[in-house]
Amino acid sequence: MLDKSELEEILRVAQRGSDFAEVFMERTESTRIGCEARQIERVISGREQGAGIRAVHGDNTAYGYTNALDKESLLQLAGQVSRAAQAGEVSPVALQRRESPVDLPVVRRPDVTPVEDKVALVREAEESARRQDEKLLRQVTVGYADTIQQVTIANTEGVYVEDERVRCRMSVNAVAAEGTVIQTGYDSIGGTRGEELFDGEKPAELGRQAARRALLMLKARRAPAGRMAVVLSGEAGGTMVHEACGHGLEADLAQKNLSVYSGKKGAQVASELVTVVDDGTLPGRFGSFRFDDEGNPAQKTVLIDQGGLTGYMYDHITAARDGVAPTGNGRRQSFQHRPIPRMSTTYLAPGETPPEEIIRETKSGLLVRHMGGGQVNTTNGDFVFDVPEGYLIENGEVTAPVRGATLTGNGPDVLKQIDLVGSDFGFSLGICGKEGQGVPVSDAQPTIRIPSLVVGGIIEEEIAEEGEGDD
Amino acid sequence: MTGRDLVNAAVDEARRSGAEASEAYFERSEDLTIEVRDGAVENLKVAQESGVGIRIIRSGCLGFAYTSDRSWPALREAVGAALANARVSSSDPFNNLPKPPAAYAVMNLADLRLKEIPLDDKIELARRIERSGRAYDPRIRITEQAAYEESHYQVSIANSLGVSASYKGSFCGVGASLVAGADGEQQSGFGIQYSRNYAELDPEAIGREAASKAVRLLGASRLPTKRAAVVFDPYVVTNFLAVLSSALTAEAVQKGRSLFADKVGERVAAAGVTVIDDGALPGGLMSAPFDGEGVPSRRTVLIQDGKLAGFLQNSYTGAKDGLASTGNASRGSYKSTPELGSTNFYLEPGELTQEQIIKQTDEGIYLTDVMGMHTVNPISGDFSVGAAGIWIEHGELTTPVRGMVIAGNMLELLEGIDAVGRDLRFFIGKGAPTVRVARLTISGE
Repeated sequence: MLDKSELEEILRVAQRGSDFAEVFMERTESTRIGCEARQIERVISGREQGAGIRAVHGDNTAYGYTNALDKESLLQLAGQVSRAAQAGEVSPVALQRRESPVDLPVVRRPDVTPVEDKVALVREAEESARRQDEKLLRQVTVGYADTIQQVTIANTEGVYVEDERVRCRMSVNAVAAEGTVIQTGYDSIGGTRGEELFDGEKPAELGRQAARRALLMLKARRAPAGRMAVVLSGEAGGTMVHEACGHGLEADLAQKNLSVYSGKKGAQVASELVTVVDDGTLPGRFGSFRFDDEGNPAQKTVLIDQGGLTGYMYDHITAARDGVAPTGNGRRQSFQHRPIPRMSTTYLAPGETPPEEIIRETKSGLLVRHMGGGQVNTTNGDFVFDVPEGYLIENGEVTAPVRGATLTGNGPDVLKQIDLVGSDFGFSLGICGKEGQGVPVSDAQPTIRIPSLVVGGIIEEEIAEEGEGDD
Repeated sequence: MTGRDLVNAAVDEARRSGAEASEAYFERSEDLTIEVRDGAVENLKVAQESGVGIRIIRSGCLGFAYTSDRSWPALREAVGAALANARVSSSDPFNNLPKPPAAYAVMNLADLRLKEIPLDDKIELARRIERSGRAYDPRIRITEQAAYEESHYQVSIANSLGVSASYKGSFCGVGASLVAGADGEQQSGFGIQYSRNYAELDPEAIGREAASKAVRLLGASRLPTKRAAVVFDPYVVTNFLAVLSSALTAEAVQKGRSLFADKVGERVAAAGVTVIDDGALPGGLMSAPFDGEGVPSRRTVLIQDGKLAGFLQNSYTGAKDGLASTGNASRGSYKSTPELGSTNFYLEPGELTQEQIIKQTDEGIYLTDVMGMHTVNPISGDFSVGAAGIWIEHGELTTPVRGMVIAGNMLELLEGIDAVGRDLRFFIGKGAPTVRVARLTISGE
């Protein structure tokens, strides 16, 4: 990649007529392995490189990217995104290397680990899943991926960062079938770290969990429909807090009045039991990083403190607009994208109630032990989630497993309703999508109770009637 | 090197390195996006990208590698990596590459004038979307997005059996997402239109569509849980078609994860339901002379008048089933292996207008928005999605509803279709008319 003085020259061209310019260069090396039907079907490796340059003037951003990393191509691209026509004073750029206080050690780098070893990990997960029930498990799919992303970030405010992000991930999907019933189970692990992520027979555990879920759901009955109390177990992770509240606290949405939390700083937006934090510095987590994609160090940001809204997640542009410092949340999927405010690891902080007590105090309702995917409409706060592992709670006890449940509700309403917060804490992870960009995130929460949520299911008795009618 | 020279050179290199069969796929694109807010350009994006993917078969084992670097050393390294990856993958007798066809169809996929239209005209087009949306109703308060977008692309493919072909294409589009506000409540609505022809874009219509969708949801509430008719808006139908298209691939069947396995020739949907994939559809956004492996594109009927006619195939699944590829090998980009996917996938239109379908509905919901489609289980077909729309009583649209959940099973839904509209509309690669399902569970209070 280019040296400092070459970057300074490119920035001077990009900045013509604008307040701010930035260069983001990237080289990414990755390996993906796919196993299905007992076969190692896909082994894919690749290299991708490119640079994105942006020029920001007031509320206008021009962004361009290219695969070429030579100086001439980037000078040409800088000229394209600059507002050359309005050329005014150009101040010289002096880049200063930045260090981050966040340490994310990598023990075994994926690029020096033989691909045979990675294939062996995939086999370990798939065989462990199969062992759970050779007869009922119809299919086991294992996906493995590692990436090493090297970035150089430089901007006209003098920021100069060179960084490397190493991530590994594995997921298992199991399909179980009995008669006409087909069910699936899923589990995944991932981290901003090397192959040590898989130490301690982690792939086998992953396979076991996915298979167990699929087999359990075969025996489950259909989820009840209607309004009921919902207990989200800590082990279900923090997908709810990510969707129902995190997205609405990203500053771009809040500033455009596209969030239910717009202009609510200082207001009580949640129950006093609720404290929500975004923290990109947690060691090894999938959503962790040393620097965000604008060269700002990752940090811990309290978003909601005992129910009161204390702040938003900012990137460079939105922070300048609100006159605050960026919070290290300016992220992008790759050089093909401009950075926007994104979460890192978002969590609802643990409380004091033992999780068993939360269940004991719930007369009837739904217990969610594993959360599926979710989606939120940030404009009105409505969200939806599926529940891949759910149970009925009857008279304070966990009883039958149920399948096909979906939780729908409204973010602000749920945060105000939460009336019990557990002393436990569990993580989940995923690739979060926004404006067509996917970035790795984690989330976490303790066991919590929401007194009243709409659970979507099937009205059993009416189905029975219909069945008779059809005959 | 041109794309075509590059792929031929890569195949030669693979042959010299000992691959029994090899394939190279080159892709290059140039994109422009303009986003406007409050009359000014908020984001302008120009992009150039290219890369090569190398697929190798050695002793029945598949290996794949890609690079965005078009230099000769990078290309050689990718060939070497693909060969190395083939060494650790499982041998499978059905791994194969297609032979060259007699000829490819000539398709006119590129609007050559598109690049000549000045940037300022395209910016003005994006502004017109916003203006028409704002003018539609004073309650339209926020522009989440008003955008113009265009893409120019070039694809070249070569394999060791003699396939060597290229095509060029382009498309453009407009999209809007607008927010209506009243009494402390906000609702959003969107509209999109893509075309190969710039002159066909109608920014005013898209602005109005987004605005009307946002405004009509204002004041929405949640109704009690019941079973009733559901009238699906074409866009919502295309969301379900996306799930259907993956269940209708031979891959899903062969791997035991399709709800349509062993059902060829059987009734899987109501009479009058016909589902088609057509990679050669004139004007189709996903149309191309050949698929991701160089197999000519064609029209494939999947469900004929309610009966399952067959599945989408690529060279691998076809060999396994003893059938020909249907030209449905699809690639996300040069970075991915060809898998199975739909092209222009649509539900054939019927006779009724949307108004007639609503008129003939005694009680139910006109479903305009669904949330959480990714939670639909493609294997069991079970779904339970968040729903918003307008309640229908005695054939009339009455009050807006939101925060409801519609649950059921894909097969139950297909069998329950009792009206199909004539208003076929495409949203990129999926197209559908308005459809009514007789009864589904709609959960609310």
